[in-house]
Amino acid sequence: MSDNALNAKRDPKRLPYLLGIICFIVMPWLPLNGFYVFLAQTFFYTLIAVIGLNLLLGLSGQMSLGQAGFYALGAYGSALTALKLGWPVPLAIAFGTFLAALGGGLVGVFALRTRGLYLAMTTLAVGYVLDILAQRWIGLTGGAMGLSGVPQLEFGLPKLGPVFFFYFAGTALIVIQLLSDFIHDGRFGRNLRAIRESEVFAASVGIQVSRWKAGIFAFAAALAGMGGAFFAHQSGFVGSDAFTVRLSIALLIAAVVGGLGTKSGPLLGTLILLGIVEVIAGIDKYGLFIYGLILVTVLLAFPKGAAGILDSLTTKLGLSRKKITLLDATIPSSKEQLSELALRRIANEGTSLCLQGLSKSYSGLKAVDEVSIDIKPNTVHGLIGPNGAGKSTIINMIAGVYLPDTGTITLGGQNISSLGVAERAHLGLARTFQNLQLIEAVSVLDNVMLGVKHQQSYTKDFFDWLFKNSLEKNERQESMNILNFLGLGHLADRLPGELPYGHRKLLELARAIAQRPRILLLDEPIAGMNAQEAKEIAQVILKLRQLGITIVLVEHNMEFVMSVCDELSVLNFGRLIAHGTPGEIQQNPTVIEAYLGTGVKK
Amino acid sequence: MKKTYQQSMFKMAFTSALIACAFNVSAQVKVGVIEGLSGPPAIVDFGESYLQGIKLALKDYQAAGGKTKIELTVYDDEANPQRAVSLAQRLIQNDKASVIIGTVSSGNVLAIGPILQKAGIPLVAGPAIATNITTQFIEEKPSQIFRCSMVEKFQIDQMLDWGAKNFKRIGLIHSTTGYGNFAAKEIEAGLKARGVELVAMEAAAPNVTDLTPQMVKLRDAKAELVLNFHESFELPFRPLPRLNYKPVIAGNWGLSSEKVLEIVGKDAIEGTVMGQALDINTPRAQAFNEKMKKEYGKDYRWPVVAALGYDAGLIVFKAVDQVGKPDPAAIRNAIENIDGIQAVSATPAKPFSATDHECLDKEHVFLGVWKNGVVTRLN
Amino acid sequence: MQIGNIIQLLSGGLAMGAIYVLVALGLYITHLTTHRVNFGQGDFLMVGTFLMLLLRKVGAPLGVAIAATLVVLAVMGWLLERIAIRPLDRKKTSPVGAFSWILTTAGIALILQNVIELGFGKTSQYSAPLFSSQRDQVVQVLGAGLFVEEILVIVAAILIVAIFYAFMFHSRWGKNIQAVAFNPESAKLLGIHTDRVKTGVFIIAAILAAVAGILIGPLVTINPHMGLVLTIKALIVAAIGGFANPVGILIGGILFGIFESLSNYLDSGFGDLYPLLAALIIIAVKPSGLFSEGRADVR
Repeated sequence: MSDNALNAKRDPKRLPYLLGIICFIVMPWLPLNGFYVFLAQTFFYTLIAVIGLNLLLGLSGQMSLGQAGFYALGAYGSALTALKLGWPVPLAIAFGTFLAALGGGLVGVFALRTRGLYLAMTTLAVGYVLDILAQRWIGLTGGAMGLSGVPQLEFGLPKLGPVFFFYFAGTALIVIQLLSDFIHDGRFGRNLRAIRESEVFAASVGIQVSRWKAGIFAFAAALAGMGGAFFAHQSGFVGSDAFTVRLSIALLIAAVVGGLGTKSGPLLGTLILLGIVEVIAGIDKYGLFIYGLILVTVLLAFPKGAAGILDSLTTKLGLSRKKITLLDATIPSSKEQLSELALRRIANEGTSLCLQGLSKSYSGLKAVDEVSIDIKPNTVHGLIGPNGAGKSTIINMIAGVYLPDTGTITLGGQNISSLGVAERAHLGLARTFQNLQLIEAVSVLDNVMLGVKHQQSYTKDFFDWLFKNSLEKNERQESMNILNFLGLGHLADRLPGELPYGHRKLLELARAIAQRPRILLLDEPIAGMNAQEAKEIAQVILKLRQLGITIVLVEHNMEFVMSVCDELSVLNFGRLIAHGTPGEIQQNPTVIEAYLGTGVKK
Repeated sequence: MKKTYQQSMFKMAFTSALIACAFNVSAQVKVGVIEGLSGPPAIVDFGESYLQGIKLALKDYQAAGGKTKIELTVYDDEANPQRAVSLAQRLIQNDKASVIIGTVSSGNVLAIGPILQKAGIPLVAGPAIATNITTQFIEEKPSQIFRCSMVEKFQIDQMLDWGAKNFKRIGLIHSTTGYGNFAAKEIEAGLKARGVELVAMEAAAPNVTDLTPQMVKLRDAKAELVLNFHESFELPFRPLPRLNYKPVIAGNWGLSSEKVLEIVGKDAIEGTVMGQALDINTPRAQAFNEKMKKEYGKDYRWPVVAALGYDAGLIVFKAVDQVGKPDPAAIRNAIENIDGIQAVSATPAKPFSATDHECLDKEHVFLGVWKNGVVTRLN
Repeated sequence: MQIGNIIQLLSGGLAMGAIYVLVALGLYITHLTTHRVNFGQGDFLMVGTFLMLLLRKVGAPLGVAIAATLVVLAVMGWLLERIAIRPLDRKKTSPVGAFSWILTTAGIALILQNVIELGFGKTSQYSAPLFSSQRDQVVQVLGAGLFVEEILVIVAAILIVAIFYAFMFHSRWGKNIQAVAFNPESAKLLGIHTDRVKTGVFIIAAILAAVAGILIGPLVTINPHMGLVLTIKALIVAAIGGFANPVGILIGGILFGIFESLSNYLDSGFGDLYPLLAALIIIAVKPSGLFSEGRADVR
């Protein structure tokens, strides 16, 4: 398909947005009673907060049970600057958002040391403390009696106040929704999903995990704050009773019920939530029951939420649209041209790797004992040895996942012993994992793109995405080339879960290659593969060496190791017991004894 | 010829019937009620009790043959101002209520007040007690906000008058919410004006479960009278037995709830004083008490709040009946000028005027005391 | 401060601290074995409290009431694990990720609150003393008056922690639990029914919550929403004590309770905030808790 044809194809996101915008512009003038406009306003700013939570929990996997606290920061920040300092409302709202972002950043940094359960607890406690502060710092917040007379968006025409607010909040929402969609489709979403999958894995592709985690926390808090700020100006009243844990739970319910990690999830979830709220307004007896039941039911029976249900409906009806991931790869006419393209990009100057005196103990057990290995550039170096010999530990120390107790690691002359995983990745170190780390939630192509270096600024990316419907064209091209090189090109828009095991391993290799490494660490690259697949991997590895890359691998399959490696290091009980070419190692009596026990003579 | 005459007669009769029906249909008036019916127990006790009174008033109104058809729309604001505002908007714009009654949290009333004032819909506030609920809007003409409930300042004044006269060492325990802090300020100033100083002033969070540390300090300060302005009204009582300390406790009308009696026990609550507006010994109060017990059984637990809810209902329904159609402005005037109210509480027959939108003025609030498991008037 | 006051505050703090310990131990044992906790643990306690209230009101003898409450909560614990926790294990790739159990257990907590509201009303309740026929029985100790129930709580808590310890480290079942906690796969290979153990710990946690509920009833005013604050505090206590160390939790809980009591005495207005803030700071500085061993060397 030519470029032109692709651009002419309708942008899948244009239609819903166009429809939405038309309804939005028209709505206040329809002959509905004013309450619907009020509800729509509430919908807009609540949705903004839910979008933030969706990015935080759905994409980066960080659980926050205290979003109400940031909502409150935004509300009070905005109300106080408008009321006491006389700032114009839009500026006040911006300040409220900023204040919430600040709070979120603080909590995010604080929370970097916690994850999962601890994070949930911490955010729960933070939300609780902020609620108490709002209640008791009466001088500032007015407590439960609150602040009245907060300026509203009237621009001098009080009768049209609600309409102005409607358009202002709605426009803000459209911008935020666009940003959210962009994040989902592009690099941001990919990186966040990688972090969610596993932080070590994300760091290994060069993502500065702490920055991203704190950053998305701050962003989600900012959106919650923006929601709160709009709330403050909707009716001109802010009281501390609005920011209890019930609000945090309501936002969570909206995010979960809508479908976490999806683009339309927040919208659907907020609609459902507000719908329920209005329906039970008159039945106070069963409110909590309904919330709890919906939460439990959705999580157990419909984990993908309303968005997931809609998705399966549209697929069943054959209405699903092709995602933008697949279409715009310019496919060269022959396989050879393809490989050449791929290879040109991947070729790199392999580095040397020097391990000196590495040791690591766990509770008294020495897993690695004074190991020193010299790995020459542009060679394939194998680490072998019986189970428990310490091979994986060494790989993890090279990668930066474990800190050695003693010893140094030098990469191409540079001492990297104190560098973090992500920094080592930036120096050209890529790795695969023994237990196969992939992002299950995104396509095969996206998994490879995770390794590709970012080529233009995010702003340029945004405009590409918005106006040209072609996001990260070059990165996508490069990834397709690598996939084709490995024979996976036809599976580019599948999910990793749909692939057989052998292809999943290839996919991980593709991602590592996409990082254009100077040194590649492969942890059991052919485990679980059959002889034919193993041969193909061997070919790939030899080809990579041809391109100049240094390769270090851990493997148990002797045939494979002997056929592929230039040099071998043999470990036993954490110690290096032999080192040499495959031929030398095969004859070495110490090695034979280690593998087979004493009493076996060659 | 005959047929045409019959036809036109029939047509006229039919049309008149239609018109009569139309008038009857448009003679239905919607009364909105917003109350705190879920959330913290203190709020729920207030909200549920007030609503009980309103509902009984409606029943009595219908039984007495009220001509205007009244439809009650009840919403729960969950003690959340965001909900209260949304419900007010819903009642005004969607449900087309002509008058609204509610709610419990003073914050929520202050949130919806301006909206109703702007929209020209009258509000009879209750059981919220913040002093400025009506005064905030009384200057605006026409002022839409009325209140049928206790006014915090009046209770406090009465209590301070009595306390300063009868006790030398007075202590205070209050919650750290707006309500508690406001009461604390009023009390400090009020006692100073009466030439008395507090021997101890303790604060506590609204949802603490144990007030032992605070009561220990009050005991050590030898307070003979402890003023209790904490939302968990029963909490100051609970540590007393083990502290060997038995001061007189006085507080706002929260102490008159039968729930408090049930929780602390008849002996502990004997002699406790609080602000009151319902003299249980009047015949009307007795009759009301019986009717409520029959209607609600064990759920009826707070005579004075239910009584005020009943009186609010009485006023609103009578005013609506006088006007006869959904006309908020006319209903507001009717409420302001209403007379001949046979209230259960101490609300007078003509509660309001152009400058006074309180059911209970200073002279209608008195002090009650627990005697033998019943709240009676303190003499 | 006079000695009497100190004892007064200590005793109150100890009693509440003991309650926190009981609830936190339930969290500890489930987290140890399954890496999951019941975010409605405080609400389970609340249900236990209300059940006792009901049973005593209808005149059931003390022993029967206690037994019935324990049984009902045990069943609830079993149901929780089967409904809200185990099905999620199979859904590892669900969008909510590995923490959907936080939300399912929280959802069940909401349902429990509503059920109790429907049965008992939304208002506060009074729960009768356990062992005395009349209320507010006081014992004088060195100038401080202590409620009999308070002393009971402290004694019961110490007893139960001791029994718990003996159970965990000296009984067959306890060793099974530790094996599953260490590595479920190898535990299976040793012939341990890991599924039964996983369900078992949730039952134990529910029973602990029930005991705490039975003991706390006479001490405080109970209402359907008392659970959340207790859950938060128990989580904090478990975290400070180090989720892996029951003695740490005992010490941490007691310290927390006493700190609360003193803090309320010294600054009655904001006293309830300081323990929370202190705990948050501790978790920030030492995420693995005050009493757990080892530092993280895996990044």
